Parts: sequence; C-alpha cells; structure tokens
Amino acid sequence: MKVPLIIVTGYLGSGKTTFLKRIIENVKDKKIAIIMNEFGEIVIDAEVIKGKAVNMVELTGGCVCCSLTGELEYAIKEIVEKVKPDYIVIETTGIAEPDAIILNIENIKEVMLDNVITIVDCDSIIRFPEIGYTGRIQIEMGDFILLNKADLVSEEQFKIVQQKVREINDRAVLFKTIYCNGNLDYSLFFGYFIEKDVKSRTHTYHENFEYLYFEYEGKFSREKFEEFLSNLPNEIYRAKGFVIFEDGSYLFNFVGKRINFEPFEYNKNKLLFVGEKIGKYKEKINEELIKILK
Amino acid sequence: MIPNIKRVGNVVWEIPLGYRKDMRVPVRIYATEKLLKEMDEMVFQQALNVSTLPGILKYSYVMPDGHSGYGFPIGGVAAMDAETGVISPGGIGFDINCGMRLVLTNLTYNEVRPKLKELVDLLFQRVPAGVGATGFLKLTTSEFKELLEMGAKWCVEKGYGWPEDLERTEENGCIEGADVSKISPKAIQRGIDQVGTLGSGNHYLEIQWVKPENIVDHEAAKKLGIFENQIVIMFHCGSRGFGHQVATDYLQIFLSVMERKYGIKILDRELACAPFNSKEGQDYFAAMKCGINMSFANRQVILHRIREVFSKVFNADPEKLGLHMVYDVAHNTAKLEEYIIDGKRTKVIVHRKGATRAFGPGSEGIPSIYKSLGQPVIIGGSMETGSYLLLGTQKAMEETFGTTCHGSGRTMSRTKAKQLVRGEQLIKDLEKRGIYVRSVSYAGVAEEAGIAYKDIDEVIEAVALAGISHKVVRFVPIGNIKG
Repeated sequence: MKVPLIIVTGYLGSGKTTFLKRIIENVKDKKIAIIMNEFGEIVIDAEVIKGKAVNMVELTGGCVCCSLTGELEYAIKEIVEKVKPDYIVIETTGIAEPDAIILNIENIKEVMLDNVITIVDCDSIIRFPEIGYTGRIQIEMGDFILLNKADLVSEEQFKIVQQKVREINDRAVLFKTIYCNGNLDYSLFFGYFIEKDVKSRTHTYHENFEYLYFEYEGKFSREKFEEFLSNLPNEIYRAKGFVIFEDGSYLFNFVGKRINFEPFEYNKNKLLFVGEKIGKYKEKINEELIKILK
Repeated sequence: MIPNIKRVGNVVWEIPLGYRKDMRVPVRIYATEKLLKEMDEMVFQQALNVSTLPGILKYSYVMPDGHSGYGFPIGGVAAMDAETGVISPGGIGFDINCGMRLVLTNLTYNEVRPKLKELVDLLFQRVPAGVGATGFLKLTTSEFKELLEMGAKWCVEKGYGWPEDLERTEENGCIEGADVSKISPKAIQRGIDQVGTLGSGNHYLEIQWVKPENIVDHEAAKKLGIFENQIVIMFHCGSRGFGHQVATDYLQIFLSVMERKYGIKILDRELACAPFNSKEGQDYFAAMKCGINMSFANRQVILHRIREVFSKVFNADPEKLGLHMVYDVAHNTAKLEEYIIDGKRTKVIVHRKGATRAFGPGSEGIPSIYKSLGQPVIIGGSMETGSYLLLGTQKAMEETFGTTCHGSGRTMSRTKAKQLVRGEQLIKDLEKRGIYVRSVSYAGVAEEAGIAYKDIDEVIEAVALAGISHKVVRFVPIGNIKG
C-alpha cells in the first residue's frame, strides 16, 4: 500500500520547524518519517545514519528525521524501504512554491499525497499589506492552515488575517495557533486510513472533534460518490473508510478537496466523517448516501 | 490589465508616475499588444511594488516574457542607485546566475540524426538531472570554496575546459569580489555535490538544429560561427541548491534589519531588501557573487562533459568536432554597472531577474571577438518551440540598462499545465515530431510543455521591434534532456 504523505509549507520564519517539533511530541501511535531542511535544533546529539539519498536520525519517540542529500524521489523510495513509515512529512523551504513539489509527489508510486499544511505568520501578514506571489501559492495549496503567531496580533488584526487567507483559499480548515499550539489535535493531520488501522480495527480518535459513522450494504456509483465528497460541508475535515463500487472495493481517504482511492478487499461500505460540530449533519449525510446507493 | 496603461512606443507601455502614490518611478512594459494582454494581473502589481523601492532609477521594467514571481516579476529589471538604493534577493531570483550557454559543433543535421538517441542517452547519463541530483565532481570543502571564489576559471585550471571558454563567458567566468566568508555552512553543504548538474524545473540541455530558413542575419551568423544545417548545443541551468540557500540565508537577515535598522517599509515581504551600501547589503552582494561563480563553474563542468560525450559518440577530438562556445550569459543577477543618467555617470546596481544582459557593440565587458557585433544573447524557448541567438544593441544601453528578455515565460501555473498535459504522451508526440526527450520525471515534462509558455517568436519579435536586441538565428530542438 502507498504511504500517505504530508507537505508542510510556509514562509521563512513562519513556524515550520516548530510544527515539526509538535509532531514529534504529539504523535506517538504512528511511525513518522520527517524530511526536513536541516536537523538543526530538532536533532541534537543523535547519531546520523548516512544513506544514499538521505541522512537519517532515529528519535526515541519513533519518529525518523531525514535530511535530503540526493534526489527527493530516491529519498522517498529509500525511506519507504528502510524505515517503513506509517506517514512521511516533507518540509518545504520557505521560498519554495509548493505546487512544483506536489506535482513531483503525485508522480512517485510509493506514496500518496494526503494533505498540505500551510503555516501562516499572522504578524507578517499584518506588517506587510500584500501577500506575495509565493505566499499566495502556499496558502492556495493548503488543506489545513495554521494561523500561527496569533499572540503577536490583536483580535481585530487576527480577523483581517483570517479574511485575507480566506480570500485566497475558501476551503481549507483554519486553526489559530501560538507556537503551533492551539485548539487542534495533531492526530487529525495523520488521520489517513491505513492498512494498520484496518487490521487493528481501531480508528484514530480526534479528541477535539466529533465523528459520524455509517455502514451500508450494496454498491455506490463512483462518480456520484466523488461528487458527494466534494460537496461535503466545510466543517468536515476528513472522511475515510471502505467503499464498494461496480469495479471492486476501495479504501478511501478524503481531506480538504483531495480524494484518494486505493483498491482494497472488503465486503462492506464503512464510512467515517471527522469534523467540528458535525452532529447536525448526520441525517442529511445518511440520506444523501442512501440516495446514491445502487 | 491596468486601465491607465499608456502606449508610449510601438511595443512599449507605461504605467505613469502617480498611478499609485507610493511609486518613485513609472513602470515600463516591453510587449506586443498580444503579450501585454496575456500577462497575469499580478505582474503589474509586482512591477508597481518594485517601483516603490528606495533608489530605483528611470523605470521599473517588465520584459515581454514577464510573469509573476517571488516579490519581483520574472522578466523584471530594476536599476538602483549604488549610493542610495537597495539590493533585493527577490529581484535576482533564487537560482542565482541561472543562465544559458551555447556551444557550436561542425557537425550537420544529417551527421547527427542517426546517432541522436545514443548521444542523448549518453548525455542523460553524464549530465545529471532532477531535484537533488549529485554531480560526479567530488570536491573537498576547501576545493569548493576555491571554486566559489574563482568560478569557471577554477574548472579550466583543473582541466575541465579550454582557456578560450573563459573569454566567452560573461565576467570571464569569474566575478570579482566573491567572498566565501559570507557563505553559511548550510549553503556549502547544499552545493558541494552539485557542480556539473542541470537540476530540475525548466533546466535542460538541448541538441538543436540550424534550419537554413531560420538564419535571419547571415553576416552576423557567420561571424558567430553559425552555418546552415549545423548542430549546436544549448543548455540552461544555474547555481542549484547553493544559490537557493544563499538567497534563503540573506532573506532572513534582510527581514530582520530592513525596517528596524534601516527604516525601509515594503508592501510585500517577498521584496525584502537592504541598502546596497550597508553591511548586510554588501555581505549579500559578496555572497551572491559566490553564487554567480558556482553557476559559471557548473556550466563549465557540464560543457566539459558534453565535449567528452560528443567525442565518444563521434569518435573524434572535441577540437576536431569544433565544440567551441559561442557565449555564456546569465539572466538572474544583480551587477554593479555604470550608466549616464541625466548627463551624469552614475553607478547602479542592475537587478535582472529573468532578464538577460544585452550590451551593445563597443561596450566594455564583452569579449573582444564580439566587440563590433554586440554581446551574444542566448534565449531559451520551451522544449517544443525553439530558441534564439540575438545580439545586444546600443538602444538597450540607452533604454533598458543593457537588458533584454530571457525566454518565453510561463502563461499558466505548473498545476494547470499538469492537468492539461500528460508527460508520457507529450514525450511520444515529440518523438513523432523528431524531438527525442529524456527526463527524470513525466510530471516535469508536462510542467514544461509548450502550451504552458508564451509564444517565443512573439517575445523575440517584441524585443526586436523595441530595438533592444537584434535577431541572428532561431534554433529548433531535436534532442532534449530535462531535469
């Protein structure tokens, strides 16, 4: 199965390294390989294992930090093979336009792009009246956007930041954060439904969020199912589970507006929706799903 | 498009002073009407933002291939007063000194065609391409540091090239004032294994053909060593991860001192800058020059590999095959130059981001063999279209600080191109049309598809009509290696 992958983007100094630290602190139930720009302050006094396309450092918590020495494509292959991670996280450089890297990832068959996380420096948005070209692309590409350094701006200024970001990206989930901490559960970012979750029959619970669960017999039309997913309300951050189409059964993952299907032997439709205050949608979602069942 | 834009010449447009209160100089756009209409809205915004920077002289320029980039437009030109102006990494580009090199052969199309596949495959093997590709040149840190201060000269001294190559490179392949003490260890680490590599994105190496009907100025072509049905080699690459890291390092420094220490307020943080004469500005200038040298060295080593490959495939010495360089010219730099402004000799720091130096005949700083012709300007088109060899003009000296366009310029985002084009299919189509492509990634090929770019012929027409360059010849590709 493909390894889900996260791209972390944002300007220089927006808090990408802090975000990576939070991942290491917060996500304990998954093996995560982080491809970072530099080990710097994260990896101290640890032994660096030199590979062909990456140098790696294993941390005690289970995370593996990797620094690129060769081509990204080969680095990913090397990591998948050697580390067998549940997830890969790639930190982009602050001056990079993430669209190029996203296209590269879509081309690598070992991995599946799960989501793009953009870190926005609220203070910088207030200080510089215009969001530049690269900054816009970073925001545009985000599925989750952390409005970071929120403590450096007033409530009113924060609203301006929100509005500016929304003008560029109206579908991403926004979080208000300080040092990349806030009312957010890091497991949400790592909620891709993977083989391990299927086997252990446990779902990753997102403490701060509500979830809806449905089971159905029968088959869905793929086209209509995809349409249903892309029309889900914005408060639903993730949907995942098993789904049966005419041509077989699949494991599906939905986040932002990104939909992934991977062939997977299963005999039932099982769907899980995760989001904020989404209880009110239970009836509606059920009705819509029944409507598109064949 | 901006409503108040004024036509001030056949292919010159102006956004006048006062369009926005914060402008220090007007904006000038060189484009045909068609190209102007195709430009994305943000280009105008960015050119206006540039026009507000301290010390900017005459105009904030956009070349006909202009499109939006980090802070400054790509295809943007801005000359700042060296005494009172700023230097900005966003006005140079992160691939510092990214540029073009054109190499001749005395082989004809008919001689190369049967060996094309072999040639391209071997070049693909010997000139590494793709993100993070590592070169075969294994350097120690101290050797790499020498290279950063000496540029292509270092390579030629070590046997990677001929002395004449240096004469035919901008700055003789080694810009003065490069100072490795201004370089971070991280930048060294990122660049040390990359000398002799193309890199990804729009970087490429092409085998091109001089079709008889594509020679525009026969006399100049002859002087430059071009003949009908000749095969030439053109490649496009820069300073790789090294240049990016230098830019990253100094952007951070500039952001921290710009307002606090120098009281410079900017609209978009991507325009981060420092006074050219400040410590930070001078440090960056010296570090950026290491990027310039790294890039000249990179292209020098690639040339050496090309000569090896041709020599092997055609079983003859590179000298016998006539593998002489025409020229090497960059399109991502900032250079200290002198111009007469309002009757006064003035030192300026000319930012050329996706814009090529195009010095006219008789100018200082161009090789003696080209003194009477003007400086060769090498313009790479997209993989599918074609490329050009032009000459710099006196008019460019007077109007655009000796500058012209650099390529064809994007018209759509990578994402859009990828949605519209399938790389695999494109490679097959190109092969049917007689162009053999080798690439690290299909997605990469799709990103660089012809439809993602402006029409190169139209871009060249614009600079020729404006008189800031003179057309010599157009080349068409028959083989391409893409990063």
